Formats: sequence, C-alpha cells, structure tokens
Amino acid sequence: MTPTGQDILVRVRDLRFAFGPRVIYDGVDIDIPRGKVTAIMGPSGTGKTTLLRLIGGQWRPQAGSVQFDGADVHKQSRAQLFEMRKRMGMLFQNGALLTDLTVFENVAFPLREHSGLPESMIRDVVLMKLEAVGLRGAAALYPEQISGGMARRVALARAVALEPALVMYDEPFTGQDPISMGVLMRLVRTLNEALGLTSILVSHDVEEVLSISDYAYVVAGGKVLERGTPEAIRTSQSPMVRQFLDGKPDGPVAFNYKTSRDYATDLLGGAAA
Amino acid sequence: MKLVGIVSEFLRGLGEATLFLFTMIAALPAALLRPRLVVQQIYSIGMLSLIIVAISGSFIGAVLALQGYRTLAQFGASSALGVVVAFGVIRELGPVVTALLFAGRAGSSLAAEIGLMKATDQLSGMEMMAVDPIKRVIAPRFLAGLIAMPLLASIFSLMAIGVAGGHLVGVVMLGVDDGSYWSQIHSGLHPHDIIESLIKSMVFGVAVNWIALYQGYHAAPNSEGVARATTSTVVVSSLVVLALDFILTAFMFR
Repeated sequence: MTPTGQDILVRVRDLRFAFGPRVIYDGVDIDIPRGKVTAIMGPSGTGKTTLLRLIGGQWRPQAGSVQFDGADVHKQSRAQLFEMRKRMGMLFQNGALLTDLTVFENVAFPLREHSGLPESMIRDVVLMKLEAVGLRGAAALYPEQISGGMARRVALARAVALEPALVMYDEPFTGQDPISMGVLMRLVRTLNEALGLTSILVSHDVEEVLSISDYAYVVAGGKVLERGTPEAIRTSQSPMVRQFLDGKPDGPVAFNYKTSRDYATDLLGGAAA
Repeated sequence: MKLVGIVSEFLRGLGEATLFLFTMIAALPAALLRPRLVVQQIYSIGMLSLIIVAISGSFIGAVLALQGYRTLAQFGASSALGVVVAFGVIRELGPVVTALLFAGRAGSSLAAEIGLMKATDQLSGMEMMAVDPIKRVIAPRFLAGLIAMPLLASIFSLMAIGVAGGHLVGVVMLGVDDGSYWSQIHSGLHPHDIIESLIKSMVFGVAVNWIALYQGYHAAPNSEGVARATTSTVVVSSLVVLALDFILTAFMFR
C-alpha cells in the first residue's frame, strides 16, 4: 500500500547504489508524501543513512533517480544543489554540531550563511528555534558541555532554522535514555505539524518509530520488503519483516556470518593436515 | 606488479592533492570576503607556533654564534660574526626551521582538527546546510597559514640574529664589538637576501598548509584515520620542506 494519490515531495525510482562490489540498493522505489512523517526501517548496515545522503545529493547513485519537489537531485549544478539543500534539513546521528561554536551560534550558522537577516532578527529566530526544542537556556553553552540528547535537539533547531520543506533524521533515537528518547519523539511529531514539514525518519527502533510515523518502509538486502501504514507493517506476514519486528535472533537474516567452510572441517581441518 | 600498484597509487594521490590545491586557491576570494574568519585563524595558527618559534630562533642563533666565533677567531675575523649568523639564519635556517616547527605544531593540529570535523560529520553537516566547507573551513585556514608563515620566519630570524641568539652570545657573552656586529650585517646582507628568504618561507607556507589541510580533509573518518593524517602531515611536510629548500637554494643563490 503505497501512499498513492498524495502529494509526493521525494520520489525515489529504481535506485541502484553500490560501494565497490557491495550492493547497497538494488532497484528501490520510495515515495515520501508531503506533510507526513515517513519512517525508513531496516537492520543495521542496510544503507539507511546512505539513502539520506543520496536524497541530499552528497552521493551519486549508479542508476535510478531521486526527485525532490519535482527536480532530479543528481541532475543539478552545484549551485542549484546548494539552493535545493537550503530547503532540506538533515539531522546527523551525533548532531554534527560545530564544536568551536556555542549552541546559539550553531543554530545561527545557517541563518548567517544564507538569510542575510539583520543581527537582531537572527537573534530572535535562533531563540525561537531553541525555545521550540526547550534549550533556550543552553544558548551560551558549547557542544561539549551538553548531553548527546541535547546536542541532537540543538541540531534539530539548526536543521529547521531556515524553515525547510524536508527534514531527514538519521537514527535520532540511537543511544538515548528513555526520557530523552521521549522528548525527541515528541519533537519530531510536533515540529512536523507546527512547521508544516515533511519528515524522513531513519531508524531501527521499531516500536518508537512506528508510533509516530504516518508511513513506513522496511528495507533490507537492497530491496524494499514492506511498505505501508504502521498497522500494515505491524501485521506483515513477510518472514524477514517479522524477524526484524519481533527481534528474532535467527531466521531469514542468519545468525551465523556466511562462510563456505563447514564447521566440522573448519575445526578438524587443522588436526587433519 | 606490486611496484606498478604503488606508483599508480602515488600518482593518484598526487593528482587528488593537486586538484585539492586548485579548489583551495579558487576558494581564496571567498576567504577574503570573510576577513574575520581569516584573522581568527591567523591568531590560532600563528599564536600556536609563536613561542616555540621564538625560543628555537634564540637557541639556533646562539649556537651559530658559538660555532662561528670559534672558527672566525682563529683567523682574527671575529668581527664578522654578525654577518655569518645573519647569512645562516636568513638564507637557510630561518625559513627551514620555522617551516619544520610550523609543520609539527600548527600543521599537525590543523590536520587533526579538520580530520575530526570530518569524522564527526561536521563537514558533511555543513554541506547539507548548503555551505561549502572548502570556502568556510579550508580556505580561511589556508590563507591564514600563508600569511602566518613569513611572519613567523621573520620573528625567528629577528630572535636568532638580534634580540637573543647571536647578539646575546656574540656581543654580550663573547665580547664581539657591538658596532662591528651590526655594521658587518648591514654591509654584508643585501635586500635580495631578505626577499629570497621571504619567498622561501612563503613557498614552505603553501606546502605545509596544503599538506596539512589535504591530509585532514581526506582522512579516513575514524580515530585511526585522524592519527594517520597528523603523522603524515609532519613526516611528509618535513621532507617536502627540505627538498624544496634544496631546489630553491639551487636556483636562488647561484
């Protein structure tokens, strides 16, 4: 059940991408509907972060296309791509805050670079964004003085500073305690509504992500395994999806790393020789 | 077969580094538009190296004076001590030792800083905010290094010849006449010596900064990559500085 008939902001078609011999994507189609929170889930190492970098135009696919608001991301000039990126916000896994700038200056950074607003207005916008993530009081601190969860909230304030159309979250909940996870989850949802954003949420925290998203994709082995509303995903009968959702240690994704050698011969091989 | 691989890998790296140099140079006008960033970097790069350069200059000038005095005194020419020290420092030791110290102090920290920014996604993050990290991070540092190097080399030479090193040992301790120390320098040293010394230090400045920034920017985004980048910065730029010094000397002081 694809989000058909809706306004699609990001359209991925027949995407193929490989690191050398390692194929990450082998022909995937993904639609990101405008105004919704869409989750991309899958086991570690399936290239979820890669997908965000492909959408952001940092990496080039070997084949296929990524369209952002109707324009092919990988057919833009560098200047056009930079214009496009002003309408995309990205939240990196560790926040990627600039460590030599304060929290305030980090949020002000994209505004100073692009907006041309006077200082007094930049100050107001930064304080409003920081208030939205609850960290106005931390404005004068440096990134090293705040916790990892707070750093992600600052990065979120920075990502929405230019009022983008799209925000991409790369594993926003990984390594967070339950409280800051709850805070981040609520922020993803409320900012999406309040600012009229479109959000892409890459994660493997199944329950949390499904509870705040409108659509979800499960990707593994270079393919889209399942797509649809959170309910549709939860009731999926695909063995791979079931293993992922239920966290079974063995199944289609094998517990043992693939090897051509038999266990017995591997063990006894040394003795026989 | 293995040799071919090594050679082609070396050439590939050299080509990549050359492209990187051109990108940096192309971004220099952007850096000039942000004088505040450049001044900040001159402060942090220059100040990092200032004390170590000043102290090394003093000691090297002092040693030159000690050694020079011993030889010159045998011929009753100890009044020429000033010009001996000045030639040694201005033509060779000033630019070369400053560049080596600069590579060890500022170059390694530049490579580590840029490498860590890469490892923590700060550079990718900038790109995603539609800010070109070459213009915002690399070019101001490159320009600052180009400005700082000749200044540091000049401070090194001043310390070595006049303020502490040669003058302190020669005139104050060994009793060479103050007037002849300076007048010999005055008559022996020509403006082109100083200009060529400045040219050397500028060339070394380009080389060390280029190597440091390239190593940092192309470091593998993990702790091992950053460690490797800082080490290669110091090793490669030391060798390159010494080799360039030989080439420049061969052309300049014929």
